Amino acid sequence: MVIFSVVSAKGGVGKTTVAANLAMAFSAGRNVVTMDLDPQNALRLHLGVAAGEIEGLGRATLEGRSWSSCMFRAAGGPYVLPYGNLNEGDRDAFEVHLSSHPNWLLDGLTELGLGDQDLVVIDTPPGPSLYQQQVLRIAQFVLVVIHADPASYATLPAMESILAKYCNSRPSFLGAAYLLNNVPAGSALARDVVKVVRADLKERLVPTVIHQDEAVKEALAFDQLVLEYAPHSEAARDIGKVASWLAAQLVPAFRAKKVMQP
Amino acid sequence: MNVRRIRLARLQMRLMARVGPFRWAVRAVRELAGWRGWEQPLLRWAVLALALPLVWLVISTPLTETQQFAFGAVSFASALFLRKLPGRYVTQMLIFLSLVASTRYLYWRVTETMNFDSWSNAFFGSGLFLAELYAWVVLVLGFIQTAWPLERKPVPMSEDLTEWPTVDILIPTYNEPLSVVRNTVFAALAIDWPKDKINVYILDDGRREEFRLFAEEAGVNHVTRNDNKHAKAGNINAALERVNGEYVAIFDCDHIPTRTFLQVVMGWFARDSKLAMLQTPHHFFSPDPFEKNLGTFRSVPNEGELFYGLVQDGNDLWNATFFCGSCAVIKRSVLDEVGGIAVETVTEDAHTALKIHRRGYTTAYLAIPQAAGFATESLGGHVGQRIRWARGMAQIFRTDNPLLGPGLKLTQRLCYANAMLHFFYGLPRLVFLTAPLAYLVFGSQVIQASAITIAMFALPHLLHANLTNSRMQGEFRHSFWAEVYESVLAWYILRPTLVAVINPKLGKFNVTDKGGMNASVYFDWDMAKPYIILMGLSLLGFAAGIFRVFYVPNTDGDTIALNLLWTVYNLMMLGASIAVANEARQVRTSHRVAMKIPGTVRTLGGRSFVCTTTDYSDGGVGVSFPAVPDLEQGQVVKFALFRGDEEYEFDAEISLLRGESAGLKFQTMSTEQSINFVQATFARADSWVVWGDKRKLDKPLASLKEIATLSLSGMSVLARAFSHSLTSRLSPGSPAQPKISAAHAANASK
Repeated sequence: MVIFSVVSAKGGVGKTTVAANLAMAFSAGRNVVTMDLDPQNALRLHLGVAAGEIEGLGRATLEGRSWSSCMFRAAGGPYVLPYGNLNEGDRDAFEVHLSSHPNWLLDGLTELGLGDQDLVVIDTPPGPSLYQQQVLRIAQFVLVVIHADPASYATLPAMESILAKYCNSRPSFLGAAYLLNNVPAGSALARDVVKVVRADLKERLVPTVIHQDEAVKEALAFDQLVLEYAPHSEAARDIGKVASWLAAQLVPAFRAKKVMQP
Repeated sequence: MNVRRIRLARLQMRLMARVGPFRWAVRAVRELAGWRGWEQPLLRWAVLALALPLVWLVISTPLTETQQFAFGAVSFASALFLRKLPGRYVTQMLIFLSLVASTRYLYWRVTETMNFDSWSNAFFGSGLFLAELYAWVVLVLGFIQTAWPLERKPVPMSEDLTEWPTVDILIPTYNEPLSVVRNTVFAALAIDWPKDKINVYILDDGRREEFRLFAEEAGVNHVTRNDNKHAKAGNINAALERVNGEYVAIFDCDHIPTRTFLQVVMGWFARDSKLAMLQTPHHFFSPDPFEKNLGTFRSVPNEGELFYGLVQDGNDLWNATFFCGSCAVIKRSVLDEVGGIAVETVTEDAHTALKIHRRGYTTAYLAIPQAAGFATESLGGHVGQRIRWARGMAQIFRTDNPLLGPGLKLTQRLCYANAMLHFFYGLPRLVFLTAPLAYLVFGSQVIQASAITIAMFALPHLLHANLTNSRMQGEFRHSFWAEVYESVLAWYILRPTLVAVINPKLGKFNVTDKGGMNASVYFDWDMAKPYIILMGLSLLGFAAGIFRVFYVPNTDGDTIALNLLWTVYNLMMLGASIAVANEARQVRTSHRVAMKIPGTVRTLGGRSFVCTTTDYSDGGVGVSFPAVPDLEQGQVVKFALFRGDEEYEFDAEISLLRGESAGLKFQTMSTEQSINFVQATFARADSWVVWGDKRKLDKPLASLKEIATLSLSGMSVLARAFSHSLTSRLSPGSPAQPKISAAHAANASK
């Protein structure tokens, strides 16, 4: 089991969309389990779980059920563990549970009994949170999604210090990479930011950027991934390239057979 | 399917078994050739002294017809066997067999077949012999020149950027339109090299305001002078007074360099301190008139490929690589030492290289296309360019003969001599094209021997030469194509070369016009005139031969057959020449360059469609989509191209939409966009690496058949053009045939 997480320092950068599409792309070659730790509970919408479905990790945890009871799967796609629909009180209770059980995530995943070659893709809420902490403590690879704008650029130092705190010193940690998402093609500002970010991050920046593309939004309106909705769009091509770049980065994690302890 | 595959595998095994036992022979040859004892010059000379008398024996021993047949058969059978074995030593053995067969033929011609019993026999006979002697000399020199191509590889640059030298990029232009020069300048700006160590200069002999403004806008230097003395050479020399880099790179204004040019070539200068000049190939992304009019673009190697694919690489071994005027780098100090670019002849490039060699410096050739340009458009223009080369080489031969004078090694002399002698093929080619007429029309016995004996001696000579050349050159020139190229040009280069030899000062410099446009298909009567006349003569000869068979008593059937066969071969070459004169239509104003690179079409509404380019030009680009895109004809879109990390966007309009492919027309580009477009397309590092990929391999018989087919189409074109011009002359009501060709031929034939 290899744990791959998608994080971001600020909201609205398309993290969930990226996580869903990457999970789909990865699932062509292996078993992929996607987990949504974002209370917005939006990941499932990309991956074919019915909009009215309220089941998810939150309820299962509070009711002491195994995670497999809230696992969904659309035909041809990855497995999905939604966050679930929680009212405010339940969410507080869930978060209290998380802070008192720092190993909640690892225990739950271990209980699922995944194979060596299975991949877990975890979506997190933007910014620092209990959820993010749980993930960063065990993830082997972290993908940080950013926009090509000054606001995203300003968040880089904070993100770096979080990674330094939870990840960098862990022997099981393979690395982190930054992904520029939703880059508008014609914008001179965006082009300049891309250059600056590239100069700062060098090989820790995913070489392919994902271009801004209407097809991404249209796809969600049809409850589809852009990979399915518009496979020949630029965004789909970009995602494909990003996925194969990441797959190459993950190779060492799959080679090391035993489950890595945090 | 499977059965066939099994059968194939069995056949392969059987073939391997056949070659297998001879592997020891191949290895033995290699061991023997690689033996260290050869490093002793005394031993080499001793072996040569022993071998030469034996070879002479083989060449000079008289044999009867039957014996000669047996000798030829065994010799050629050995060659056919050797041909199956790999390796350069085997090629050397084939060269040896070919030299023996050809020299034996020539020896026999001198000693037994010369016929001086009448004036006409003496005239025709010695004429043919001299032509054959010329062919033999060129064959021998060619073997020496290309015996062992060096195949030099690039040397990486030093890691330390401060060690990289300063380079001036010179782009001479005279009357070419700005649209042609722009792309070259933009690409020169994109060359990867420290910005403070590279300067780009437009050398504008036209002194055009438009160019000055463009240079200012693009941020390059615009250099002019007060006169146009010595054309391009003078232009460069005048500029040299104003630039001071350690090296100059020279690009014709229509040769667009790739961004890697300097990094690929400059490493050798650091490695070899005597290196004064490095040449790279001239590669063309548009078809030359042969390729265009015969439809052989990228399937048959063009006229220039033998030179840039093999000859220059062969020269490189002997330190005799020539400078070809463009796509090359010269060390400034050496250029100053030889007095700049040579101005004494119209081929200033080869002459400059000769002067460099005389001073003891080395030159190098790197067979990696690092620039590409437009080929000459029309046959007239192409011929004009060749005339200049031929005239210039003849001038050098006359005024600064490489066989004489100081500073050269024997092999360098031979390489230069061959390069120059090569351009004297005009007269010998015309002799071969008309030789059978001597017997068919005049009844002259030009070779005093029976037809069968002639065949017994001539066939091994011709077959060996063809087979050996096919092995050595096949990748760069297909069998029998040399005859086509020579037949087309022979008449036109005959006079300038003879004039230049008699008086090297006569004749003027002409600039080849490029980037033109043929409004319609037309037959270039003026250009084709020599071929039509030669064809008429050959047909006359053929008819005379037939007449002889029936009405002239004591006619030797074998001799008639031999000469008729020869005439048919000549007719084939002439038919192909005529096909070249049928100018194909060129409808586009800017050239389309075929290239597959990824791109994206973006609608203004934010949708996108990934695509691959199929071809591009200044004005637009053809693309193909993986699926039918949701676009409309006339829609305004953005088109994106990528180069490494960079991305460039251009405004375009969908000008054509057909299923999964589309044509995009660019809207007016800013200077910056133009630079970006050239950098993302023409100047890409990998642009021209795969140039010969689609070419068929040389198969002599298939090649002969291909030329025969082209020839037939040439003859039918001629017949149609002839009847068309007859009818339009006879009926005054019909529109007259437009006379376009005169201008094209003006600088060539007049």
